[in-house]
This record gives sequence, C-alpha cells and structure tokens, in this order.
Amino acid sequence: MTNHLRQPKPTGPSSAGKRITVALAGNPNSGKTTIFNALTGGRQHVGNYPGVTVEKKEGQCRHGRTPLRILDLPGTYSLTAYSIEERVARDVLIHDQPDVVIDILDASNLERNLYLAVQIMELGRPLVLVMNMSDVARQRGLEFDLDLLSRLLGVPIVSTIGHKGIGLRELLDTAVEAGERGPIGLPRQIDYGPEIETEIANLQRIIEQAGVALNGIPARWFAVKLLEGDPELHRQVNHEAVIEAAGRSARQLESILGDSPEALIADRRYGHISGACQQAVRSTVELRHTLSDHIDAVATHRVLGLPIFLGLMYAVFHLTFTLGGPPMAWIEAGFDWLAQTLNGLWPEGADGPLRSLLIDGVIGGVSGVLVFLPNILLLFLAIAILEDSGYMARAAFLMDRLMYKIGLHGKSFVPMLIGFGCSVPAIMATRTLENRRDRLTTMLVLPLMSCGARLPIYALIIPAFFPRNWHAPMLWIIYLIGILLAVICAKLLKKTLLRGETPPFVMELPPYRMPTLKSVGLHMWNRGGAYLKKAGTIILGISIVLWALQQWPSLPEEQAQAFARQREQIEVMSDLPSAVKNEALVALNYAEAKAALEASLMGRIGRGLEPILRPCGFDWKIATAMVGAFAAKEVFVVQMGIVYALGEAEDEDSEPLRDRLRADYTPLQGFCIMLFCLISAPCMATIAITRRESNSWRWALFQLGGLTALAWVVTTVVYQVGRLVS
Amino acid sequence: MSQTPEIQLSASLEDYLEAIFRIVQEKPAARAKDISKRLEVGRSSVTGALHALADRELINYSPYDLITLTDKGKAVAADVVRRHEVLRDFFVRVLAVDEPEADSAACKMEHAIPEVILDRFIEFVDFVERCPRGGTKWIKGFGYYCDNDKKTGNCEKCVGLVLEEVRSRKVTKATETQAMVTLVTLKPGEKAAIVKISGKDGIRRRLLDMGATTGTLVEVERVAPLGDPIEIKIKGYHLTLRKEEAERITVELSGEQPIERA
Repeated sequence: MTNHLRQPKPTGPSSAGKRITVALAGNPNSGKTTIFNALTGGRQHVGNYPGVTVEKKEGQCRHGRTPLRILDLPGTYSLTAYSIEERVARDVLIHDQPDVVIDILDASNLERNLYLAVQIMELGRPLVLVMNMSDVARQRGLEFDLDLLSRLLGVPIVSTIGHKGIGLRELLDTAVEAGERGPIGLPRQIDYGPEIETEIANLQRIIEQAGVALNGIPARWFAVKLLEGDPELHRQVNHEAVIEAAGRSARQLESILGDSPEALIADRRYGHISGACQQAVRSTVELRHTLSDHIDAVATHRVLGLPIFLGLMYAVFHLTFTLGGPPMAWIEAGFDWLAQTLNGLWPEGADGPLRSLLIDGVIGGVSGVLVFLPNILLLFLAIAILEDSGYMARAAFLMDRLMYKIGLHGKSFVPMLIGFGCSVPAIMATRTLENRRDRLTTMLVLPLMSCGARLPIYALIIPAFFPRNWHAPMLWIIYLIGILLAVICAKLLKKTLLRGETPPFVMELPPYRMPTLKSVGLHMWNRGGAYLKKAGTIILGISIVLWALQQWPSLPEEQAQAFARQREQIEVMSDLPSAVKNEALVALNYAEAKAALEASLMGRIGRGLEPILRPCGFDWKIATAMVGAFAAKEVFVVQMGIVYALGEAEDEDSEPLRDRLRADYTPLQGFCIMLFCLISAPCMATIAITRRESNSWRWALFQLGGLTALAWVVTTVVYQVGRLVS
Repeated sequence: MSQTPEIQLSASLEDYLEAIFRIVQEKPAARAKDISKRLEVGRSSVTGALHALADRELINYSPYDLITLTDKGKAVAADVVRRHEVLRDFFVRVLAVDEPEADSAACKMEHAIPEVILDRFIEFVDFVERCPRGGTKWIKGFGYYCDNDKKTGNCEKCVGLVLEEVRSRKVTKATETQAMVTLVTLKPGEKAAIVKISGKDGIRRRLLDMGATTGTLVEVERVAPLGDPIEIKIKGYHLTLRKEEAERITVELSGEQPIERA
C-alpha cells in the first residue's frame, strides 16, 4: 500500500471501482479511533470542521480494487444535536451522504451502544455494525448470537478486535458490499407503540405534504426528531405548519402518556434494544467486579484518590518539562552551531542585512518554533496515555468540584497545571474539553498560570530587591496572584462573554484499557504536525517581524562612525596590556549594541510606550525590554542586559545587572516588573497557538489585549497605592 | 412558595418575559426574532419591550445580541409561568375545559391573579382530587353535566361509588409507601429505580440518551473525594454526574435488592 500520503482527496485510479465513502460512527470509548487508525494507518488528515472546534479526521485506504475514503465522526452517544459533536456527526450523515456507515459498538456495553445504532438506522443509510472488543466481552462472560442479533436488527454485524486488527478484512468486505449495493429501502423500524406511532404517521404525512424532508432522509426520521423536540431540526425545518403540528402532537402525547415525548421515545428505543439483546445475548457468569472496578476502588478512593492523582500529575509535569529539557537544549545548541557556521561562511566584511536576516531572523525563528516540540510531543504522549487508558475521565471526576467552583469543568485541571510549565502545550491540551465555552475560557486564562519562561525574570528581580528570607515567599506571592487572577477572569468570562447553559457534566467512566503504541504514537504525531504546520508558521512570521523591529533603522551613520573611531583609538594604544584593551573593546561593543537598540524601531516603540507605562512605575528601558519579551518571556532579561550596555550574555544570575537595577529602581518597581510580566501579553507563541486552537484571530487578539490591559490596571493600582503607603 | 421580587410589570411585559423564559428553556439564548414569532407581534414592539425589561434588570439585552434572563428575571418569569400553569391545570382538571382554550384563558388571567387566590386554586384542586366526596370521578361528572344539557344522572349510584373509591385508595396508599427520593440522597452501595428526570434541557436529554430511562436500575458507587460529583452504575457501566444533576433524578428505593436485568 503505497500512495498519497498527504492528499486528502486523491482521485481514484481509473482501473479500480468507484470510490466509496465510509463514515465511522460510535460511542466515545468504543474503540472507534483504534479501528480508524488500523484501517488508515498514517494516511490520515486531521483538521477542523468549519466554524467549530471539533476535530475532523479523514483517511484513505484500499480494499481490493476499491479505494475507500474514511470519515471519522466525533464520538457520540446519540444523534440529538444537543452537543456540537452530535450536530457535526449528524450533519455529516445527512449532508455528506456517506455510501455506508460503520457503527462501532463496544460489545461489553451493548445496550447503550446500540442506542446510537438504532438512530442511525432511522436515517436510512446503509449500515454495518461492528461488535468491537468482543474478546473483552467474552472474558466478562457474554455470549452473542450475532446471526440472530443481525436478523433482529436488520443490519449486517461483523465482530472485530480492533487493537489486534482481527476482523478488519471481513469488516471491509461487508462495508464495500453494503456501500456498492446502496440503500435497500427502509431499514427495520422501531415500534414506538400505538399512541406515538399514530402521531408519527400523522406528522409524516404533514411533512411529506410540506415537502420539507431533504436529501433522501426518510420523513419518518424527521417526524420522530420533531416529536423529540430537537431544537436544531426545528430551526432547519422552519415550516410553520409542520412545527405547529409537531407541537400539537407532542402535547397530545404528553397528556395521554403522562411524560414528555423525548423520554417516551428514549424509553421505547431502549425497550426495543433490550428486547433484541435478551434474545441474542447470554450472560454466562455473573461478574460483579471487573479488574477495572478494582483499579477504581484505589484510583478514585476517598483518601488515596487525590494523592495518586497528584502523583500522576507530577509525573506528567516531570516527563514533559524535565525530560523535555535536554532535547530543547540540543535544538538550541544545534541552531547556535548552524548560525555560527553560516556566520563563518559569510565573506568577511560583507556585513549586510541579509546575513542578519538569515542568522538572527530565520534561524532564530525556526529554532524558536522547534524548541517547543519536545514539550509538545512528550505532553501529548502523557495525555494520550491518560486518555486512552481511561484515567482522564477519573481525573475530571476527582477535580470537578474544585474546577466547577470557577465555572469550569473537571477536565480543565490538567491543562491549567501544564500551564505552569509552558502555555503552548497547555493550550493544546485544552482539546480534552468538549464544551466550546469551557475550552475557550480555559485557553484565555491559561497564560496567567505563571509559566517556566517567566522564572528567569523572577530569578533576576527577587534577589536584586528583596532580602534573602523573602525570596521564597515572594515567588509564592507571584504564583498565587496568577492563580487568583485566573480564577477571577474565568468566573468573569463565564458570566459575560462566554455565558450560557451549563453543559451536562454527565460523563462515562470507561473501563481501564491498555493504551496501544500505535494509537499513542499517532496521537503524538498528529499533534506535533498540527503545531508545526499551523502555529509554527505564525511564530516564525512574528519572530521575523520582531527581528526587523530590532534591526531597523540601524544606528545613524555619524554614531556608527564615532564607535568605529573609538575602536580604532583603542586598537592603536599599543602601551595598554591586551587584557585591558579587550575589556575596553567589549565595553565599547556593548555600548554600541545599546545605542543600536535605542535607535531601532523597538527602542522607539519602547520610548513611545513610556508615557503609557509610567503609571505602572516603568521607564523606557523596562518598556523596551517588555516589547522584546513578546518573542519569549525570558528575553526580558537579555534585553535588560543590552539596555544597560552589559551585553547580551547577561542571564538571571547576573550580579552587575542586579546592581544596576537596584541603583535605578525601588523594590516596589521591581515587584511591579514581575507583576506586569506575569499578567501582560503572553508571548507570541501563546497567541499563535490560541489562534490555532480557537480557530479565530479574534480570540487570540482578545487574549493579547485583555491580558495586557489587565496587567496595566493591576500594576498601576499596586504601584500607585504602594507609593502612597511607603 | 418562592418569594417574588416586588416588581410591578404590565400584562404585556409579563407575556414577553414568559416568552423569553420558554424560549430559553428550549435553546441557550433567545433572539428578538424568536420572541416576535412566538407572541405574533411586530419586531419594533419586541424591541421596545426588551428595552423596558432590560431597564428593570430582568434580562440581559443589547441590540443584535442574544437575550438571556437575569437571576431576577428568572424568578419573576418562573412566577408568571407558575401562575399560568396553576390556572391552566384548574381549567383543564376541574372545569374540564379543552387544553388550548384553557391555555389562552390562563394567558389572559395570569397577570391579574393575586398570590392568595392562586394558592387557594392549588389547594382546591388538591382537595377536590383527594376528598372522597369530590374525587376525579366527581369532576368528570361535572364535565358530563356541562356537556349534556345540565342533566343529573343516577345520584344514588354515584354516592355508592364514593365508598368504593375510598377503599381502593387505601390499597394504592399501601403500595405507594416505597420512598420517592432524589438520586443524590442515596448512599454508596444503594440501588434504586429511576422514576423521572425533571427539567427540559441538555442534561435530561444526555441522561436519557445514556440509558437513564424510567424503570432503569441505578446503583450509587461512590462520591468523589472532594464531595462532588458522584459515580453511579447503570446498565452495566459507570457514569459520573454532579450532585445538582443527580438532584433532578427522582428514584424509587426498593426494599429488597432487586436482580439486575440482563
């Protein structure tokens, strides 16, 4: 199987049969992704459905001579369109008209899984059911009469063991056959009982008369959905007579049967399924507690649950950032080497802007993109393991109380925690949140979790201004302010811009499973690729702009000449010892770098910002360093070094720099610097990743503007009040 | 009964508020378009009313944006809806009026009726249904009386039936002693059967989809270490839900531990 690695829509080879589109549907945790991966391997394309943050996965494969296009629908329990996932899944089934739908069932949890299947059946598309993980079900003492079940439901059923690749060939045989045959009239229907059936028939007639049914979807399906009060469909149908009739029928049923039609219909569906299962499924052993139950008895234990969770979180954090450290250093060292090599290759004296663009702009930018990759890959390795094993749902179970207090979901905890390491992978990790509003809120406040790149700033400032026994408490205070502000902002966002009905927390705790290497690997690969493709380009672009700001306009001619003259003067002073001479030259270079920065656009922006930042207690030097810190927070320290003509090599342990700071600023100003760096504009990589994950520049710019405004207000208040008090 | 904030609203403003309340129950937020459709009024009158409601801080509204109810607005709207429902119930169940007619009459009367009289309506319906001298059959008799030219039927037979009904009620009472509680009151290890899920939003829908239909057995497995959410077992799998969600599930405790259905 060699072909079309990255082509979402390859044209089918002329000799082969017509290409068949297959939609994979199924409950979350039914093993759908495993089967999708097994079928398509690396030939998959991950994108987004337009306008929503739901992931769209598509892949190719071949079966015999038939090329297949495989759409992986979001995992859902139903097709009611109450959640975005359900709406997306339903829209694909209705509008894309796949030739065949494969619904994957977790065999050990058959009744609930069949609930989705019977709804797909009502849509009238050719359907193949897959009894997945049949080995686990057998271990639990369940025996299936697949022929009987298939006859009772009126659809073909194939048995598979997804992670071992067993049964896939037969599945494709059946799917291709069903797809080529096309729709075979109406599938077996559920009998909803005389009262409901009367109303369905009645509505069906009205719908047919009004002609609102579309795309070959049976009118009966519309009738059932309207009776269920499906809000999305009410909007889509938009036909007064039909809606009115549906409302009348619903009220009628409610008064006769004493419950709302949606409950009644769900009842009957489960009844139908239960009936079929009673005939075709036999339980041989009564298994009270599975292995999964035993693990849960410990993992979600009243006392042990939280320590285990915190331990695991520590491990994730450690894996991501400690293990990610060396590869990051290698990447940086590699690019440094590359920059130096290129620098050496450059002809002597041809010190043009092109060289600087290539070495400082492009290589610096690419290195700035790649440096996040180890963190992202390792974090998603950890997240893939947590999710595939089923622990992520337990993490939400354990943490929900805490997170719900801020108006968020239990699953927000993991990204928030990762935020203390780096906001970029943390924002990518918000993908585990299903609800869009929860996800956006988490994403927007995440930069307030003080990330690792801000640590050098604190490490520089705190010892410069505060006595030794205040070092640790000071650091704590800064981190706590960040957390506190995140909580306040999250609450505020949920009350204003992102308010709306609280989505149900109701969530399955799936049985624990061993994650497979293939699925974990693909997960990492897809995330890494998405980051490089989508966010990487933005980061590269911004870093080149920042480079240009720092480069242009260059030092005015007369100043540059003045520096050159001074350099010559030192060189010719032959009576000086060479060490002293070198020192003088270095000092001169630093002074020139400082002058160059001041002359550049960035320096001018810094000066321009001074009046705005003065209420926060900042002068132009700090302002310039802050502008540079947009590239990455830790750049602030380097920029301060340049501004003080101490050279680029100054790091957070630099005593000379601390001396200068102490001379120029009060401890209050020092504190304000930390505060502003904590809250203000997250670095450009964060903005880029927010843009990518929220699928909109508006939210990314809102994050940038909102946090910077917040930083200004908070810092100004602290500075002004602090000044009055002292 | 819930305390109603003391706000004087005109009948039409109450109608608007009620309409918003009902729309918001169906979807996350209302639009002016939905309201004008529901009340069959022009868009301009809707806008005027929305401004009036926003001034009283009953709704969150700015032009072209989604409309939601404030907490105060919710309380007021819920009160209007309650009055509407009490009146409609009275018309349907006691006065044997057809539902659509009862609905539209309730719509007109709901604005003027004082709280005291409303409570009496509720108590009266309750009383008529409970009292052996009244009872549901007696009310049906009233419907018959109205529909059939004020004919009175066999009075002796009817009075005789009353005693029968009193006896039959004693029997049903006995079977009803099994406690109806909400799921949240169950302790880990306890089992119960679902009776109903209240509300009409995504939570109820999700629960129904996941198999929490009437009669289904649930067992509370454990409570999270921080006290919320809880974990339950239903149809052979594990589900977690917040306590405030569990509160909406009415269950019937069964005396013995029943055998789970396959």
